[in-house]
Amino acid sequence: MKRISKKLLFFLFLALILTLAACSGGNESGSDEGGSDGNTITAWAWDPNFNIAALELAKEKYSGEEGIELDIIENAQDDIVQKLNTGLSSGTMKGMPNIVLIEDQRAQSFLQSYPDAFYPIGDYFNKEDFASYKLPPTSLDGKQYGLPFDTGVTGLFYRTDYLEEAGFTKEDLTNITWKQYIEIGKTVKEKTGHNFLSLDPNDLGILRVMMQSAGAWYTDEEGNINLVDNEPLRLALENYKAIMEADMVKLNSDWSQYIAAFNSGDVATVPAGNWIAPSIEAEESQAGKWAVAPTPRLDIEGTVNASNQGGSSFYVLNIDGKEKAAEFLANTFGSNVEFYDELVTEVGALGTYTPAAESEAYQVENEFFGGQQLISDFSKWMEEIPQVDYGMNTYGIEDILAAEIQNYLNGKSLEDVLADAQSQAEAQFK
Amino acid sequence: MMKKIVHIIQDNNLFIKIFLVMVISIIAVSIFITISSIRMSSNLFMETFSITNTKVLTQIKDRFNTFSYSVVSTSIKVDENGTIKRRLQEETSNDIEKSRSYYQIKTQMERIFAEIDPNEANLIIMSLDNEIFNMNYFNWPVKGTELRNHPITKQTEARTNEIIYQFDQSNLTNNIPMVIVSKALTEHSTGKIYGYQYVSIREKDLRSFYEGYTSEGNNVLLINSSGQIISSNFHQKIGEKEPKLLQTAKNIENQGIEYLNVNIFNEDYLMLAEYLPTLDMYIVNLVDKDKVQSNLVDTNEIILISTLIVLIAVFIVFLILRKMTVSISKLVNQISDMARYQFTKPLEETGGYEAKKIANSFNYMLNELHDYVEILLRTQEKQRKAELEALQHQINPHFIYNTLASIKFMIKQGKKETAFNTIDAFISLIQNALGDVDELITVEQELGNLKNYVLINHARYGDRIKVNYLVSPDCLHLQLPKLVIQPFIENAFFHAFTKKKHGYIQILMAQRENSLVCEIVDNGDGINEEKIDRKAIGMKGKRQLFSGIGVRNVHERIQLLYGKNYGVNITSELNKGTKVVITLPIIEELENQK
Repeated sequence: MKRISKKLLFFLFLALILTLAACSGGNESGSDEGGSDGNTITAWAWDPNFNIAALELAKEKYSGEEGIELDIIENAQDDIVQKLNTGLSSGTMKGMPNIVLIEDQRAQSFLQSYPDAFYPIGDYFNKEDFASYKLPPTSLDGKQYGLPFDTGVTGLFYRTDYLEEAGFTKEDLTNITWKQYIEIGKTVKEKTGHNFLSLDPNDLGILRVMMQSAGAWYTDEEGNINLVDNEPLRLALENYKAIMEADMVKLNSDWSQYIAAFNSGDVATVPAGNWIAPSIEAEESQAGKWAVAPTPRLDIEGTVNASNQGGSSFYVLNIDGKEKAAEFLANTFGSNVEFYDELVTEVGALGTYTPAAESEAYQVENEFFGGQQLISDFSKWMEEIPQVDYGMNTYGIEDILAAEIQNYLNGKSLEDVLADAQSQAEAQFK
Repeated sequence: MMKKIVHIIQDNNLFIKIFLVMVISIIAVSIFITISSIRMSSNLFMETFSITNTKVLTQIKDRFNTFSYSVVSTSIKVDENGTIKRRLQEETSNDIEKSRSYYQIKTQMERIFAEIDPNEANLIIMSLDNEIFNMNYFNWPVKGTELRNHPITKQTEARTNEIIYQFDQSNLTNNIPMVIVSKALTEHSTGKIYGYQYVSIREKDLRSFYEGYTSEGNNVLLINSSGQIISSNFHQKIGEKEPKLLQTAKNIENQGIEYLNVNIFNEDYLMLAEYLPTLDMYIVNLVDKDKVQSNLVDTNEIILISTLIVLIAVFIVFLILRKMTVSISKLVNQISDMARYQFTKPLEETGGYEAKKIANSFNYMLNELHDYVEILLRTQEKQRKAELEALQHQINPHFIYNTLASIKFMIKQGKKETAFNTIDAFISLIQNALGDVDELITVEQELGNLKNYVLINHARYGDRIKVNYLVSPDCLHLQLPKLVIQPFIENAFFHAFTKKKHGYIQILMAQRENSLVCEIVDNGDGINEEKIDRKAIGMKGKRQLFSGIGVRNVHERIQLLYGKNYGVNITSELNKGTKVVITLPIIEELENQK
């Protein structure tokens, strides 16, 4: 009897052990934290047709010794800005990418606000190889943080047929001032009835184009808000008012109307960054009717017929895998002429890497623009773009200025406008 | 082979029976417990799950409500904004005026837009000239002319005072599924339309309101009042019309049911629904029970555990039962064998406690029985012996009287010699007859007795019946029980010669095949074979003339003493005579017995 109960106990014990073993069997998977492990690095960008396509190409072209897997993540630009701000201000850096694309005009606000968050990559490539205007926005305190990507080099896109009709030739539009531009516009409007350009009253991009051609900005090199004694800005505003008063503007309230303005044949010129070219080319019925002249300049010493609108650069965050990320960028965007050839032919993105300008792909004649060597011209102008420090508050200052401009257009004196804008901006950003 | 199996089954009958019952009960119990525990846990789970999901649904509803309030509030603000109204209606004569108009509308909109911006929604205002003021071009790059001629705007025109929620994924939205909330901007006094406002939210952003609550098997759908699915984590279902779903949602809402089991998209779901009055839409929560449960209730594990327990229990039962029943079966076998073969062999006391106890008691009983039977046998033997002895000691008084009377007559007649001989024979006969019945005497002594007896009979009845003795000399010293032969002689004297008056009786004694054979042959009347068969040897019922021992007893007595191989055999033929053969063992006279 005793033996049996002993046996029974043993079996019950055995059953218990087996049961416990069966129960604990399921939960063995450990938690796995995200991030760059091994040779995988991540990159954030926003435009699948443009900068993401460029990264894909870079991934393909990468030829470094180390095997690097690039994981490209698409985010809206506003999301990237927001996520970066959230992540960097919290200081955890968790979930941050290795490589991030930042618009040049925003770059300084990040570099200055989070000085330790970015990894200086100046040692990985030769910054002299890039358009000089790209360097100030991408560097801080003498350290190069950004690897310049696309250029926002501007040009004056114009309808050759309309201008011919009004009696103007290519030479009449080459290397002109904004004053001359306005005069031509008046004539064109008068003779053809077509508006000369399209503007959105809420977007002061044209002011920035004008200012940068003179090497000026809303802020000076020290980052001080500089509106009152800013001669280029003063001239730009006068030009702006003159354009408005000439009644030759096709006003638009959003992007689709802006595109429609030239696609429909309403306007004769589009002074804009080179990135507008694909939108112009989209209207195939206008093939051969367009050409690009250098950007008009201001009537002031030291101004050039070249400027910039937009453009962005790659930055490497100061987290694990930063060396690999820098290596990757240097190997592709930082040194590979062949890569830039394909970038311009396959993706249509014009980089700021000057050695690439000599290559054959840059010399190609664009039939839509009447056989003009568009890319070659743009890269030539690109090298002339004056360097400007965009400072931290470009967009904020512009919001203030936009309101004041309305007052200016409605009769307020320029001195008052600038003085008021200056004091508002100082109150807001100091 | 078959027989063998049957035999094995019979041998293990008890074990098989109990074991089967136990196994069936164990399995039945564990199956029922397993099923009911799975059912209970899944019921409990579904219960809590539906409670949680009801709460979740309420939270989602709150989010949608908050969103719709912000949309309504945005709409009212746009509607009531004097600047926007003025600027949309004013006729601009030049670029500067127009620029101011655009600028002011945008500025006003930016202020209003802040309220819905966090939801990733977009605000668009369109003037009657198809000018678009788009707060988030990236979100919805729409062209004024397209929007103006789209059914969405037509609807808005038709229902001027309403805020209309419409779903679209056509070219208008670049095929991106989107909910567009639209309202016509009208002058209150005249009802004249002066513009349109649109709040658009992409399905993707709408989904983020509830996506966090969804999981595999736990789906959320948003359906509008026409049954169209306008948002769901079932991406492929977006835009489809499901009137059945709408009907079910209505039923749930109207009847206040907590949840329903439904079959939708050819699958079974647990369906919960909430009505969003502000949007005139239903949030539907479809829970795939199986999927959700399989994630949370591990049926396999429960089944595994119960199977394991069953196996162990059956194994233990097997061991215990085996131990118990094998010993009992063995006992049964032994007992049944015992009845057939050996009655005396005790049982083996092995196996479990019960079996040992049973075997022990059985053996005890068996021993008692043995003892009892032995005592009984001995008693019977004693009784028989006593009876024989008593008979032997009863020498018939008539014999004595008649013999003595004959002797008296002999003396009267002066036959002194004859009387003397007779009385001499009588004395030795009496002497011999008295004494132990078991006492053995030699053939010679018996012969003497017989001669004496014959002498007395001759003296009394005359010698018309001759008696011859043929005794082999080697027999003389052999021993035999007393009064074995005498009853047959007496029988022959008094019964064999009732018809015939003369005859003889021959007594033959010899050793044959290791036995002593005595033949008493007469040539008298003989008897019927039938009578012999009926064992009516001798005069049944009639008193023996000499002693109590009758012919009838002799055979029994010999067999009692020496076994079945010995005894009396009688053959007879009518009118020819009777032959009695007595077979006895050879018993040598022992020296010391003398």
